[in-house]
Amino acid sequence: MPNNYFNTLPLREQLAQLAKCRFMDISEFPDGVEALKGKKIVVIGCGAQGLAQGMNLRDSGCDVSYTLRAAAIAEKRQSWKSATENGFVVGTYEELIPTADVVLNLTPDKQHTAVVNAIMPLMKQGACLSYSHGFNIVEEGMKIREDLTVIMVAPKCPGSEVRNEYVRGFGVPTLIAVHEDNDPKGEGLALAKAYAVGTGGHKAGVLMSSFIAEVKSDLMGEQTILCGMLQTGSLLCFDKMVEEGIDPGYASKLIQFGWETVTEALKYGGVTNMLDRLSNPAKIKAFDLSEELKQIMRPLYNKHQDDIIDGTFSRTMMEDWANDDVNLLGWRAETAETAFEKTPAGDVEISEQEYFDHGILMVAMVKAGVELAFETMTAAGIVADSAYYESLHETPLIANTIARKKLYEMNATISDTAEYGCYLYNHACLPLLADFMKGIKTDVIGRGLAVDDNGVDNARLIEVNTALRAHPVEAIGTVLRGHMADMKKIV
Amino acid sequence: MNICLDNLTVNFDDRFQLDEINWQLDDSQHWVITGANGSGKSALAAVLAGIGEHISGTLSGVPAKVGIVSFEAQAELIEAELKKDDADIMDVISAGTPVYEILNPGNSNQQLIDELVEKFSMQSLVNRAFRKLSTGESRKVMLIRALASEPDLLVLDEPFDGLDAYTLEMLQEYLTSLVETVPMVLVLNRFDEFPEFITHIAYIDDGRLQHQIDRNDSKAYNELYQLLHLKTTDLQVPAADPETAIPRLDPAQPLVHLNNIDIKYDDHKIIDSLNWTIERNQHWQLSGPNGSGKTCLLSLITGDHPQCYVNDIFVFGFQRGNGESIWQIKQFIGYVSTALQWEYKVGTGLRNVIISGFYDSIGLYTKATDRQKKIADEWLALLGMSNRADVPFNKLSYGDQRLLLIARAMVKHPPLLILDEPCLGLDDMNRQLVLALIEKICAGSETSVLYVNHHPEDQIKGIDNYLALEKK
Ligand SMILES: NC(=O)c1ccc[n+]([C@@H]2O[C@H](COP(=O)([O-])OP(=O)(O)OC[C@H]3O[C@@H](n4cnc5c(N)ncnc54)[C@H](OP(=O)(O)O)[C@@H]3O)[C@@H](O)[C@H]2O)c1
Repeated sequence: MPNNYFNTLPLREQLAQLAKCRFMDISEFPDGVEALKGKKIVVIGCGAQGLAQGMNLRDSGCDVSYTLRAAAIAEKRQSWKSATENGFVVGTYEELIPTADVVLNLTPDKQHTAVVNAIMPLMKQGACLSYSHGFNIVEEGMKIREDLTVIMVAPKCPGSEVRNEYVRGFGVPTLIAVHEDNDPKGEGLALAKAYAVGTGGHKAGVLMSSFIAEVKSDLMGEQTILCGMLQTGSLLCFDKMVEEGIDPGYASKLIQFGWETVTEALKYGGVTNMLDRLSNPAKIKAFDLSEELKQIMRPLYNKHQDDIIDGTFSRTMMEDWANDDVNLLGWRAETAETAFEKTPAGDVEISEQEYFDHGILMVAMVKAGVELAFETMTAAGIVADSAYYESLHETPLIANTIARKKLYEMNATISDTAEYGCYLYNHACLPLLADFMKGIKTDVIGRGLAVDDNGVDNARLIEVNTALRAHPVEAIGTVLRGHMADMKKIV
Repeated sequence: MNICLDNLTVNFDDRFQLDEINWQLDDSQHWVITGANGSGKSALAAVLAGIGEHISGTLSGVPAKVGIVSFEAQAELIEAELKKDDADIMDVISAGTPVYEILNPGNSNQQLIDELVEKFSMQSLVNRAFRKLSTGESRKVMLIRALASEPDLLVLDEPFDGLDAYTLEMLQEYLTSLVETVPMVLVLNRFDEFPEFITHIAYIDDGRLQHQIDRNDSKAYNELYQLLHLKTTDLQVPAADPETAIPRLDPAQPLVHLNNIDIKYDDHKIIDSLNWTIERNQHWQLSGPNGSGKTCLLSLITGDHPQCYVNDIFVFGFQRGNGESIWQIKQFIGYVSTALQWEYKVGTGLRNVIISGFYDSIGLYTKATDRQKKIADEWLALLGMSNRADVPFNKLSYGDQRLLLIARAMVKHPPLLILDEPCLGLDDMNRQLVLALIEKICAGSETSVLYVNHHPEDQIKGIDNYLALEKK
């Protein structure tokens, strides 16, 4: 088993690395892609991130080609097709890696150790190796040749968004970092900034962070609120509705599209706006439910964060890798068999507002998950900006995948690491919420509150509204969303 | 009264022709006829007064007493007066017909005449010779005469032209008081002069009655407003922004040179060894059936097609694939297409949509300068959308969105404006709006237009180079 890099650092250094995160203003990128001009960029892998980033970089004037494992070329796999049809030069490691000034490793994280070991000996003296996720460096402790510069440029969005936003003349929020142990020429930051410009990230906001902060926050976000909470919530809400006699087709639809609809409000105006979409009595109800949920789930969030920080999580996952993914594959098969997954969305009309009114519990779950993830991350020393992107910001993006093809699509889109963490969370969270769910009725999921009038107690409403707005995720959210003011995606 | 023009074609001294007019008016209606100068709106009004030679079709139901005021009628009367003067057979110098005689050519209601004379403050002029009056004064005489004749139909061609503010208001009020008494047809070309009581609007273009609109149909009414606005005002295309100026191009080089282009998907050839050069100041029309590769060809020019890196393409001084960015290419191009409109699903305000043209972005991600805002406002004025600067783009009608995207494309005065089927999906009125705007652009700037279209009826004046693609 490889060495966990984070665990080799002294405490003070660990804390310093975790706290590394600074929002960079667009004015800090006056040199554009200059640092990459005249350099040869070779991308390993042409999947979601690889294709999108490569196309953006090429359109920004960079020299981009692709290297794929020999089998992918020989069998003309999808990755080979994507690269060739888009007019890129494609070659084997032996053909292209030695010519590269910058190598972008955009293969799945699980393959990184093998891939990096294969390409490192072929890399030019003094070249740069880049990642879009720091797992390999931080959790697996991969040691990179001393003459090589190691950087990370991690778009905080799926590949399709990375490309679409660029074409619109914008970009997606991006995290950059330099691996300090591998910056022999001190050019890491300049390269990472140029790369972020090349993908359009500088327009949407760049966070200057560390490999460690990126990994520890990314893992936390994806396994808890982003994927875990949505999966657990989907299963619990569906079973409850069916148990209470609601038409399964309706229940299936309410959940499949409900996450997307309610988190759309989250995207525009944070948790406050999402709850403001409810009537006053429903808002108070959602607030109370979420407080209860937070209390029940807080130990679980803490455990996930602790396991991520001390390496327990990555160690167990890597053990599963070594064991032919027995757990991962088993959980994947199990998810496919759930009643929610197997019940197609019914052919019923549900208005946008109805998703809120009939999905009070879902709103409460999103609120609880976002706030807990944010609170846990910041308590662990991760900076608020980073914690915001890894929790609230990405929730709507994941919700969109469920709207497309339910949990299957979500788990197929996210990385293996996220998927593994998601199942882990789900397995712990389902029993944890069993008692809580016993008290749940269709007034908060499926039918909506049966109240004659919308009257509420003023004092209580003021309390709730104040509490909503006072949460720290709202303050940082307002600032960061301000940077993306016009990134208004409708429909 | 029930006037009916049935497929009526009318010739006016071979100078002008109204073609196949179908139009019905009854007592309960008050119409405005509107259109650009020379469109035939006065001619249509004149037909109601019995003028013009009917070539085909029929006109029926015109009442006996039609009171008409128009420049033509006014000029005729003045000419007749001047003729009297010339006809010096009597060897006496004629004093000319006095105004009071003109006002009451026979059996009009004298009391009403006196009342109107007072209203128009013409008391001091009634004894003056008609031909000695200023144009404005003689116009008032014509108005009083027509109003006092107690007609069954009142036809007023630009009655408000040349009136001072006081008289204009008085006349508007007076006409309003007649609403129950006499149906009216007014020829007007300024929307803000349309009186409240108008019930219908007829829009004439090129001798044809193009649109008949119910005043209560606010959507059609707004569109007509814009169309008229574009057709009648001679606003200039707003200037470019000197601060975000596009780099100068070498005048000796073509804008675009495509050399031996090959594009294929899965062994299916879309474009096969194509050569094409667009020189500066050339306007082009590109046509071809669906699937002939039009859009593909355009995206090679705009840099949106991935194959532009593996073909021999020279655009705006760049040989593609040598370290240029697509934004360096796009800065020279204004681009409008249905696809862009689909993608432009943002809630950004109209002003910002126009400004986004300076940055070639969908949505605006940069703080606009005051100058850019001013230029955008000039464009909004040109489009007749000044009052909607902050309305979200996605709240606009489909046709208005298209107009706005054309303004967005032109705002930076690009050397090349690409209009990919700009009329696609538009109704007749919006089509005409778009074409009117494009013609303004073609005439008023140095931009080369590349117009993609396969409808022969949507021609644009000034385009004389053609490339036709065939389906492979
Ligand atoms: N997806 C996201 O939302 C996201 C966001 C930010 C960062 N990232 C990071 O971006 C990186 C790439 O993720 P992704 O989602 O783009 O991955 P992906 O879509 O699964 O694509 C991976 C690519 O790598 C190739 N590949 C797979 N196994 C390989 C091996 N053993 N050796 C060489 N090539 C191999 C695959 O092609 P063949 O199988 O045809 O060889 C494929 O083209 C990861 O580090 C991930 O954490 C992802």
